[in-house]
Order: sequence, then C-alpha cells, then structure tokens
Amino acid sequence: MTATVNFPRRPDEVLVDPDQAMVPEDRPTAYEPVSVVARYGPPRATVKPNPDLNWARRLAPLVFARKKHLVLGLIASVFTLVIQIAIPRTAGLAIDAISRNASGSLAPYAFMLAGLAAARATASYVYRYQLQRSSLGIETDMRNMIYRHLTRLSFSFFDRVQSGQLISRANSDIRAVQMFLGFAPTVAISILTFFAAFGFMLSIHVRLALVAGMTMPFVYLTGRTMRTKMFPISWMVQARTASLATIVEENVTGVRVVKSHAAEAQQISLLQRAAERWLWASNLQVDIRARFQPMMQNFPRIALAFVLLYGGWLAIHDQVTVGELVTFNGYVFMLQAPFMMLGFLMVMAQRSSASAKRILEIIDQTPEIQDRPGAFDLVDPQGDVRFEEVSFGYGAGENILTDFNLHISPGETVALVGRTGCGKSTVARLLARFYDVREGRVLMDGNDIRDLTVPSLRAAVGLVLDEPFLFSEPIRDNINYGRPTATQEEVEAAARAAGAEDFILELPAGYDTVIGERGYTLSGGQRQRIAIARTLLANPPVLVLDDATSSVDVQREQEIHGALATLMEGRTTLIIAHRLSTISLAKRVLLMEGGRIIADGTHEELMATVPQYAEVLARAEDEWQAAHNPPKPSDLDDPLDSDDEPDLPPQLRALKHLAAARSNEADTPRRSFEPETFGGSTPGAGGGQ
Amino acid sequence: MGWGGHWGGGWGGGHGGAAAAGLPFAGIPPELRDAVEKIEEHEPEIPLRPVDFSQRTPEADKHFTLRGFLRPHRMSIVGALILVGIDTATLHVGPLLTQLGIDKGIIHKNFGVLLTVCLLYFGSIVVNSITGYFRLSFTGKLGQRLMHKLRISTFSQIQRLSLDFFTKEKAGRIMTRMTSDIEALQQLFSDGIVNLAVQGITLVFVIGVLVSMHAGLAAVVLFAIVPVMAAMTMWFRSASDTAFLRVRDRIADVLSDLSETLSGIRVLTMHNRQRHNAIRHRNIAGEHMDANLTAARISGAYGAGAESIGILGQALILMIGGGMVARGSLSVGQLTAFILYLTAVFAPITQLVALHSTYQQGKAAVTKLADLFAMQPSVPERADAIELPPIAGEIELRDVTFGYSPETVVLHEVDLRIAPGETFALVGPTGAGKSTIAKLVTRFYDPLAGQVLVDGHDLRNVTFDSLRRQLGVVPQEPFLFAGSIRDNIAFARPDATDEEVAAAVAAVGITEVVDRLPQGLDTPCHERGVTLSSGERQLLALARAFLAQPRVLILDEATSALDLATESMVERALDVVLQGRTAILIAHRLNTAMRADRIGVIEAGRLVEVGSHDELVALGGRYATMHELWVEHGGSVRAPATASV
Repeated sequence: MTATVNFPRRPDEVLVDPDQAMVPEDRPTAYEPVSVVARYGPPRATVKPNPDLNWARRLAPLVFARKKHLVLGLIASVFTLVIQIAIPRTAGLAIDAISRNASGSLAPYAFMLAGLAAARATASYVYRYQLQRSSLGIETDMRNMIYRHLTRLSFSFFDRVQSGQLISRANSDIRAVQMFLGFAPTVAISILTFFAAFGFMLSIHVRLALVAGMTMPFVYLTGRTMRTKMFPISWMVQARTASLATIVEENVTGVRVVKSHAAEAQQISLLQRAAERWLWASNLQVDIRARFQPMMQNFPRIALAFVLLYGGWLAIHDQVTVGELVTFNGYVFMLQAPFMMLGFLMVMAQRSSASAKRILEIIDQTPEIQDRPGAFDLVDPQGDVRFEEVSFGYGAGENILTDFNLHISPGETVALVGRTGCGKSTVARLLARFYDVREGRVLMDGNDIRDLTVPSLRAAVGLVLDEPFLFSEPIRDNINYGRPTATQEEVEAAARAAGAEDFILELPAGYDTVIGERGYTLSGGQRQRIAIARTLLANPPVLVLDDATSSVDVQREQEIHGALATLMEGRTTLIIAHRLSTISLAKRVLLMEGGRIIADGTHEELMATVPQYAEVLARAEDEWQAAHNPPKPSDLDDPLDSDDEPDLPPQLRALKHLAAARSNEADTPRRSFEPETFGGSTPGAGGGQ
Repeated sequence: MGWGGHWGGGWGGGHGGAAAAGLPFAGIPPELRDAVEKIEEHEPEIPLRPVDFSQRTPEADKHFTLRGFLRPHRMSIVGALILVGIDTATLHVGPLLTQLGIDKGIIHKNFGVLLTVCLLYFGSIVVNSITGYFRLSFTGKLGQRLMHKLRISTFSQIQRLSLDFFTKEKAGRIMTRMTSDIEALQQLFSDGIVNLAVQGITLVFVIGVLVSMHAGLAAVVLFAIVPVMAAMTMWFRSASDTAFLRVRDRIADVLSDLSETLSGIRVLTMHNRQRHNAIRHRNIAGEHMDANLTAARISGAYGAGAESIGILGQALILMIGGGMVARGSLSVGQLTAFILYLTAVFAPITQLVALHSTYQQGKAAVTKLADLFAMQPSVPERADAIELPPIAGEIELRDVTFGYSPETVVLHEVDLRIAPGETFALVGPTGAGKSTIAKLVTRFYDPLAGQVLVDGHDLRNVTFDSLRRQLGVVPQEPFLFAGSIRDNIAFARPDATDEEVAAAVAAVGITEVVDRLPQGLDTPCHERGVTLSSGERQLLALARAFLAQPRVLILDEATSALDLATESMVERALDVVLQGRTAILIAHRLNTAMRADRIGVIEAGRLVEVGSHDELVALGGRYATMHELWVEHGGSVRAPATASV
C-alpha cells in the first residue's frame, strides 16, 4: 500500500463560475461543498409556511412570483378575445354589404379581416406562450422546492416513507397543479369571451340571442355528467393497464421461475384475465364516450338550427339581416367553449387541490435534525468522541441503547462487537447525528453535538457502510462525492490508496465509467473500495466502519484491510465488526449486549474472560460464511433492477425499463450467465494451487 | 424477523385499497376509490380460464402483417366504415342547409322552404346523434377487441421463447412489445384507419359541396388556402415531435435524478451535499422547463398561425367571392356557406397530417411484432416430443459440452450420473459452471455436444411441460410475484386446496410466521417481496417447490444469501422437502455441500472430483483444500450446535 495520503480537510477551492451572480444558498460553506455552476436560479418563492391556510393561498406566492408573465399573458388574451369577437361581426357586415348592394366591393372588409388576422396571430401567440411560461415556471419552482426540502429531511422521515411514493408525488401531483394553473386563465378568458359575445348578440337581437344561447347549459350539464362518469373509469383503465404491465414485467424478470414451473399457460391465462378486466373497463369508457360525445357535439348545432329557423323568420320580416345571422353562426361556437371548459376546470381543480395537499404534506415535514439557535462550527476537530448515558430508540419504538457510555480518544481505534440487532450501527448513526438521542448526550471534542452546526459535525465524521451506495455516475464523481472540488490527481491518489486504481483502470472508460450503465456493475469488494476512496478523499478525522468488509471475500478482504489501514491512520476510528480479521484492526474491543457495553479490553482479554464474546464471534464467523463468496448477481440481473431501488413500485420500475429500452436501442447483448467478477481466484480454488 | 413491521403502515395513506387489486401502487387516487368500487360492483366475475398454449407458434401467428391481422375482421371494418360515412355526412350537412335556407328561404321570403330546411337540419342532428353513438361504440370496441387478441398472442409468443432471449434483450425492450407497440397499433387502428375514413369522407363531402356550389371559389379554397394550412401543419408535426421527445427525455432526467437522490439520500446527507445537489437538480429541472418552453413556442406559433390562416381564408373568400356575387355567379347564401365550410376543411387537414406520424409509428410496431412472431425459440420443443412419464429421478449428463455461445465453452465433456433419490452437491468457484449444469438439467439450454437424460430420456425428446412439472428449482434470489402469499406458494398449482397450501407452509416451518401476518395467507407480497426478509422469501420459494411436489429438486445456491439463523431454518425445511427426491445442491458453502450424499467439484468447466465428503477429504485434492480453508476461516470457531459435519 502507498504511504499516507493527506487531503485538506475542507473544500478549498470553488469551481463555480465567479461571474455567475450567486444567491447565498448557492454558495459553498466551509463544510458544504458546491462545485456545479448554477445555470438556473433558485425558486423565486416558496409556499406560505402556515399549515392552517388553504392550499391555494399557500401556493399563491409561487404564482405571484411569476406575475410578469401571467399579467402579460392575460392582457394579450384580452386582446385576442376582442379580435375574436370582431371577426364574425366583420364577416357578417360584409355579407350585409353585399346583400344590400351586390355590385359593391368587399375589399375593405377583406383587408380589415386580414389586419385582424395579423393582430390576432400576435396576441394569441403572446398569450399562449406567456401563460405556459408562468405555469411552467411555477412547476419548476415546485420541483426545486420539493427537491431541496427532501434533501434536508432527516433519516427518520426516510425510514417511514417509500421513495416510490415521493417520486409519484413529485411527478403526477406537480403536473396536476401545473396543468390547473395553466388552464385556469384560459377558462377565465373563455368566460369573458362568452359574456362579450353574448352581450354583442343581445345588442343585435335579444330573443335571437336567447335562442342561440339556449342549449349552452346542456353542453355544461352533459359535459359534467360525462366527466363524473368517465373520471373513475379512466383511472380504472389506467390501473388495469398498469396491472397488465406488472404481469408482463414479472414474467420477463421472473422468467426462470415461470419456465421452471412450466407455468407458461397459467401465466397466459392470468394475463388473459387481466386483459379481459382491462377490456371490460375500456369498453365502459368507449360506451360513455359514445353516449355523450355526439350529444355534446350536437347541442351547438341544435342552437344553429334554431338560429336559422327563428333568425330566418326574423330576416324574412326584416328584423335582422342575413349578415347578422352569419355573425350569430360564428358566435354560437364561442358561446359553447366556457361551458365545455368549466366542467373540466372543476375536475382539474379537484385533482389539483388533492395534489397540492399531498405536495404540501411533504413541505410540512420539518427536519428533525436542525441547527440549534447559536450552534457553532466544530473547528479543527481532534476526534475525541464520548457517549454519556445515551438512550435511544427509533421512532416510537423501544430503546435500542440504554444508558450507553463510550469514550474514544483522538486517534484511537476501537472495535464494537455484538450480535445483530444489539445497536452497534445505531451508535454510528448517533455519532453523525442522523438521529438525536432520547436521553444523555453525545460529545465531540467535549461539545454536545447538538450545539454544533450539523454540516461541520458531519464533515468531521466519515462513515463506510456495509453495503456501499454508489450513484449511477462516473466513478470519478462517486469518489469525489464528498469533495466535488477535488482535482483528478487527488481522486487518483485516493483510489490508489484505497486499492481501487487497478480495477478502475481496467474498465473501458477508466474513471469516466458510469456505474450501472451498459451493465458495468461492480462486485461488492470493488464497490467497497470506491466507498473507501470516497471517504479518504473527504478526509474526516473520525471514521466509522460499519461492517465494511462483510460483503467481501477473503483475498479482497486482505486488500481492503490494507486500504483501511491507510484510511485509519491518524484518525479516531470506530469499527463495527463481526469478524475476527476485522476486529484485529483495533487494539481495543468493546462488546455490546442489550444496548450497553458489557466488556472492554483487548481481543485476548475478552477471549479469556468473557464467554459471550467467543459466542458472538463464532456466530459472526458463521454469518460471514454466508458472504464468503459475494452473492452472485442473478441471471437476469439488470443494472436498473439492482437493489439500489427496492422501493420503486412496479409501474415505476416498468417505466424505468421502458426508458432504458429507449435510451439503449443499440445496446450490446448482455453478459453471459456466469459473471466473471472474480476470475479463478475464488477462495478454495485459488488456495489449492 | 422483520415480517409484520412494514405492512400497511404507508405514510400518507397511499396504499390501502390498491392492495386489493394486487398492486401496491395502482394509481387510483384515494378520493376516487369509492366511485371505482361502485363501478366494479357491476363487473361480472371474470374467471381464470385455461388457455390453449402450445410451445410452437401457431402457423397463423408466424407471419404477422397488419393486413393479415385485420383480415378476419374485414366485415366489421366495412360495417364501421359505413357508419363513419353516415355519421360524417350528417355532421357536415349544416352549412349546406344554412345556404339553402338563406338563398331559397330568406332571400325569397319563403318561410315554408325555410321551415323544411330547418326540419331537415334537426333531422340530420338526430340521425347524427344516433349514428355517432353506434359509430364510436362499434369502432371503439372493435379496436379494443383487436388489441386484446393481439396482446394475448404476443404474450404467448414471448412465453415460447427460450431463456437466452430474455438475457439478451433488456427487460424494458421486451416489455415495449407488450405496451407501446400494441398501443401504437391501437392508435393506428382507432386514430389511424377510422380517423382516416372520417377525415377523408369529410374532405370529399365538403369539397364536393363547395365544387357543386362554385367550382372557381372552391379552387381558391383548395389551391390557395389548403396548401398553406397543410404546410404549416406538417411543420408543426415534425417540430413538435422533436420538441416533445426532448421534453420526455428531460422529465425522465428529472425523475431519475430525484429517484437516485432518494436512494442515496443517506450518502448525500453524510457528505453535506445538499447545496451542491440542489443546484444540480435545478439545472436538470431548468432544462426540462426550457424543453417545455420550446414546445410551448412551437404549439403557440402553430395555434396562433392556424387560427389566423382561418381568418385570412375568410378574407380571401370575401374578397374573391364578393366579386363573384357582384357579377352574379355566386349567391349570398353560397358565400356564407363557403365561410362556414372553411373550418370544416381545416380539421381534416390537420388530422390527416397527424395521421402520417401515427402511421409511421404503427408501421414500426408492426415490424417489431412481426420480428417477434417470426422468432423461433433457441431451445425448441420437438414436434414429435413425447410426454415424459412419471420419473424415478435419475439424472445423467453424458459427455456434455456447453457454452452460451459456441466460442466460449463453459462445460467440457461433463459425465455425471445422479441416482434416483440421491442428494448431490456441486461445489466450485464462481464461474466454474455449477449453475450452468442446473440450467441444462431444466433444459433452459441444450448442450452443444452430448446428452442430458432424465430416467434415460434425452431431454430434447420430451415436452417442456411434462419435464418441468417434475423438476423444481429454488434459485438464490427467490422471485415473488405480485399477489398474495397463497398465490405465490400455489404458483405451480393454482388449484391447490387450502389444506395443501397449509401443509406446504407447515413443511417449511413458517406456519407461525404466516399466522402473525395481518391477513395470513392472503397478505399481499409487495414489490417483489421487499417487505419480507430474504430468509422468509426463500422459505416461501421452498414452500412453492414443496407444493409442486417435483421428483427432482435443484437448489441453485438457495441458502447463499441467508444469515445463519434463517439458514438453519431453511435447512430444517430442506430435510423435509428433500425426502425421497433427487436433489442437486449448488453450493457456495461447504456446510451445505456436506449434507449431500455425494459431492462434485467443478473447476473451469470440468468435473474434477466426485465422491462423498469423507472420500474427497481423504483424496487430498481440490475439495480437501477447500475444506481446509473453510475450517481455517470458520469451521474452527463454529458453535458446536450448528456443526453438521
């Protein structure tokens, strides 16, 4: 292994474009790195925090923040409306002119119409675009607001919540609100249009106007009935389409089970039933559409026929002109628009209100872990860790730790040993303040960690977990995750020190290889070494290794131990361990049972004096046998399907599959069945020769 | 065991009723559930009907073409077209009647004529409402029925294909055959063929009427106004297709960034990355907004442009038509009719242009489906395959050489005979070919050379169904299907009685665990069973295998991923399940292998040692070395209670 690497303890440089006017929340702090150029500003507003207000008022600041586009759009739409009203009138006047005087030219009217057309094109474009722009801006603000909020919530929140639900909220609920906000002004305008057109018609002939408007309420009523009938059915169809997709997805991913049980025919009948259920619901949908759509279409036509009949009678008696009849013909269609849209708007408003409430539900979650007023930075941490009479349990559950005491001196390495579920990992989570203790306190360099700013504390504590999570990003970005400002040399040095450089360089794109893409999955040991490099680069003075070598085979473990030794040098280290070989990295061993430390000493001392210790170790060694060889990726292992996202609901998983299928149209055939992660050097075989 | 902990405790109550549909995230918002349930009350019970499934693609399906697919329904299609014709004509007769009313009635001050015209108008509305109903209902249902049929035959074809198809193709690509491709065809049918008819008839009808009124003015409409509109629509289609594709890609980026963030939220929090990631997400969301704005510009321009062209068209008609009225070649009523018909000409143009892309997509879908139907399984069932009679369970590999492709051979001349009732373990390094042997015995693949026999029958001579019904496989990663625990256990035998299921549950020792669940056996397995621990899932898979009562059971590293406590539970269950069966244990852990009657060591695709544990240890070869290492690393500190040597 290489010599000790020492990286600066703080992000020392900022790669953000200095010309970019940055808002305070975009600036990196001493502990919160930023190395991405903000190409878009932060949300322009946030929701009103008072949860007692109704949803519309709470979202109002977001709408208000886009008032420029909204107002511009509304003004343009009023212009559009005025022009729209003028057009049938102009056409009608032209017809009248020619009826009165067949030899007169209609050119003035034609030019007037052409002028109106040009004006209308401009106004209409401005209003369509600006209204979209305001609602899309609001949508984007909501997305960013929710994202930012989610990243600041505490672990206890994510313990309770399925990420699939959150994604669905962030997608369909935001969309529903956006669509409502985009649609509402259009409806408002169409209502204005109605009044203007109807007023105009009244001014021409009151009774004829009433006849023309007579069927409009039916348009609304029929529309409303159709929608109330249609709405649940369209959701049913959607849900049933999703069940179909789920069956297909399961049969594709679970093909071995299906085939090995000769269950093909049975699965087909399962799909057939699901498809028949879909067919039943779709046919209902077809039926409703067939029943109502022709009716809706024909109500304005009934009005037109009446206008022709009654208007014709009036025209015969010279009470209206033919041109006015033409004008009426044009207006009838304008009258119907608000009646068609209003019902739709009400449905959308309902959905949008439900969606907005779900969004606000997220926003109203407060992070449990926050800086106290007057919290100060942990400056130049030494790594003196102390737990004093700590009691803790998750949620409302029982205490996992009770009156727990522990002291680790700066630079000391301590192994924490105990049965699964005895609270070892909890100690680590409390140290990084992912949760707050119920009683007692945790001290870092003599300060209660609740008095310290959270980022400064977390920057001082590095965790290497048993199942390292890597992002589907280039390996480089995974290594410099905690210090995105690191140079390529620093990244390479960290990878080298973690023993990861060799396999990284063997990958086709080296450090640029995107994990998970095109099937580049890494073995447990490789993932762990990248996680170690990541922690090395972040360079925290306190280190917690949470079962960090559990998923690694024996040869690799030796290598990782080398990497770990490098990592531990000069740091306070807490090793949460199962295995003898890992425990040997520490001089001092603590045995935990029932949420307390029951023994403290060297491995030899504990072996000699504490019978439980040997028992726990024996059990742990057995468990390790389970991971002796890293679990083989299953045959249909799909990078998208890996355990990184066990929470995705089947529909979303299906969506991801579809998305992947689209983006990888020309991908190469996948790996053959036997993965070559370890070549021939598996323990046993390799040891023999 | 964390089995009851996560059930139903969903945050914000997103779950509940959807579970009844067997889906944890069925997508029906809570406020609509009552309404949906009310509708479902009227739904007839749709039984699970057995299907006629053959491993060989029916001749009729082999050559999939759109024409061939529609041919059996040609009478229905002709009927649909007739309905479409009547429907369209009655819909567009209005302006013609208006013109007649003006010219013959109003101008000549003849109320009788006007009344007749108006009655005709009302008549056309009544007829249109009736034909409209039948047209929409008939064509809609016909389309759904066609797609339903196609969906089932496509799924059947997918089921016929061999395992290599599923490993070569990404899951998502296979799924698109069943989802977007079929939807594209449905679009092609309902929006395409039916709409083509509707719009075509509209266009012919309206142009016919216009030409009959005044050929010259009709020519102005056809050659001056229509082409502009058509060109603009074509521009819009191509521009907006590109723009919306980008929007879809960008929203996928936004969602995948969010999902990745949520999956890695703990790492993110640990490294104080909130600020950095918030900006990153802003950039991604911002690009999504930009893409949307581009799309908004395009549709805004088109919407505004199309309206204005309509008005300009009116201006042109007034200009030219006015002159014609002045010269007496056109009546005022006809001029009015031209203005009214102008909108009726525009709709078909936009629709027909839109049809072009529907047609393209439909054509692509037809090609892809045709490829799928033309595909032959790489491991086919012979036409003259026989039913494998009930077997004793003897398995033999005779000189088997195999590779997933002929170039890379994974197994070399393996000779192996496993006696009926014997438990045989296969050990060896990852990649040596252990699991491959399991795949050959279940005939997921055929050997390149040599034979695999069960009770002396070459697997290639027997039907899949009769073979696999007598074999059981428990994989390392148990796969659970959406549905209840019972459905999963009774997977191979859905007709199993409650007693049989209960017996299987008892046999693997999880009766107590199941009883603790809120709904017992009816508890749904969520999302590939993530709410069950891996041990519990493995026990369910074992119960599934037990219920199937196979003669030969293959455990493909079935206990490799389990912790010790669960493993001992699984092993106790195995003692019951393996009784009287031939078993092949593919094992990583020697303590699993030691339970076997005989052990085979596979290395680099060759069977290098075969014998009992004691024989192999005495032999001092590979197995002995492995055993030594195992003792060194664990065997020595094993608690005596769990030692099984």
